Amino acid sequence: MHRLVPEKLVTIITTDVLEDRLVSIARNRGASGYTILRARGAGSSGEQSGMLDADANIKFHVIIPLERLEGILDDLERLMNKRYQLTVFVSDVAVLGSDKFNRPLA
Amino acid sequence: MSALNNLLIPAVLFFALGVITRLIRSDLRLPPDLAKMLSIYLLMAIGLHGGYALGEADLGKAFNAVVWAVALGFALPLLGYVLLMATRRVDRMNAAAIAAHYGSVSAGTFLTAIAYLDNAGIDYESYPVIMLAVMESPAIIVGLLLASWSRQRLAVQDGGVASIETGSNNGQWRSLLHEAMTNGSVVLLIGSMAIGAISAPASMEKLFPFIDEIFMGVLCLFLFEMGMEAARRLREFRKVGFVLVAFGLLMPLIGGLAGIAVGYLALGLGAGGTTLVAVLGASASYIAVPPAMRLAVPEANPSFYLTLALGITFPFNVVVGIPLYHHLATLVIN
Repeated sequence: MHRLVPEKLVTIITTDVLEDRLVSIARNRGASGYTILRARGAGSSGEQSGMLDADANIKFHVIIPLERLEGILDDLERLMNKRYQLTVFVSDVAVLGSDKFNRPLA
Repeated sequence: MSALNNLLIPAVLFFALGVITRLIRSDLRLPPDLAKMLSIYLLMAIGLHGGYALGEADLGKAFNAVVWAVALGFALPLLGYVLLMATRRVDRMNAAAIAAHYGSVSAGTFLTAIAYLDNAGIDYESYPVIMLAVMESPAIIVGLLLASWSRQRLAVQDGGVASIETGSNNGQWRSLLHEAMTNGSVVLLIGSMAIGAISAPASMEKLFPFIDEIFMGVLCLFLFEMGMEAARRLREFRKVGFVLVAFGLLMPLIGGLAGIAVGYLALGLGAGGTTLVAVLGASASYIAVPPAMRLAVPEANPSFYLTLALGITFPFNVVVGIPLYHHLATLVIN
């Protein structure tokens, strides 16, 4: 039997100009790491074709223990209150080798 | 006749092909980073070229060109903001973000104008290239100032809710200004100009195959892709509305006239150089400014400013604007 440990996966879809902000939020809130993918699609900001700097999106993943989740969500909500367009959702995941998720990046 | 000639150069025809490709729903897809790669090449080539020419140019005149470029960069977005607010169809934040685009410049339009002048065998001075580099930043700064001023006005209207936030905005301001001044295209353009100006002429000549001979071909590819991107925006016309579309056609005319005044009256350039300054005044940025506005003015809707700059003003300038400004510049000078 594998030892699966429950964690929270926060997924953020937004414009890639916010990448630096998201990275610093994840770092400051004690995330152990993050993954960024290029994304395209359409939504409230119109079509995001990913062909120009101006309309490229990213999908930002961070896995974090439940007790550190609130802090990240607070920061993301602050961005949303400034009227940045973010799609944020949190899912329950189970991770293998849970030790590394408890070690903050820096 | 000259208007038709402008349309019958490969770069413009490729722009049209890009638009058609999208309209007939061809399955052609370009690699995602192509536009970025091509614009890096184009900026580098035009920078090296301009720097090389500036190495032999009059420094006083170059300084003058810089001063006037900054003046245009500050004045045009302010004018655009006032016009947009007068329409009463956009809110302050959208007006600030859109106005910033019209103070900044589109290198794509500028290069198309160079292709037009080359095709017509018209000489042009190298000073407009340095103005191209200078005009990216002031408009971004004006956009930031307008947005922050508008934000305060809105906060006062709403009873001061947002004023709590302004204290923490100092650090953000510094990073936004830093971004405006160290914007990728500005660094690339100014850096290439410096390299072009100080390199030994003999070693620069070795670069000519890279910066001269393949230049027009790369421009064709770039405009092809921009045609596709512009057509992609056509769909959003209805969302933008008639008044904003009218602004996207009127503002380049105003900017073009301002550019002619600066090019001819203030800088004493010939018909070619004056046309290029007019194009600088008329064009709206769709590479450098939109990301800056997305970061600095999140309240504004990106589909408004992108549709205007890329879907309306850019095609207008390429097809109608450039020959028109050249015609006007020739009229004024004679």
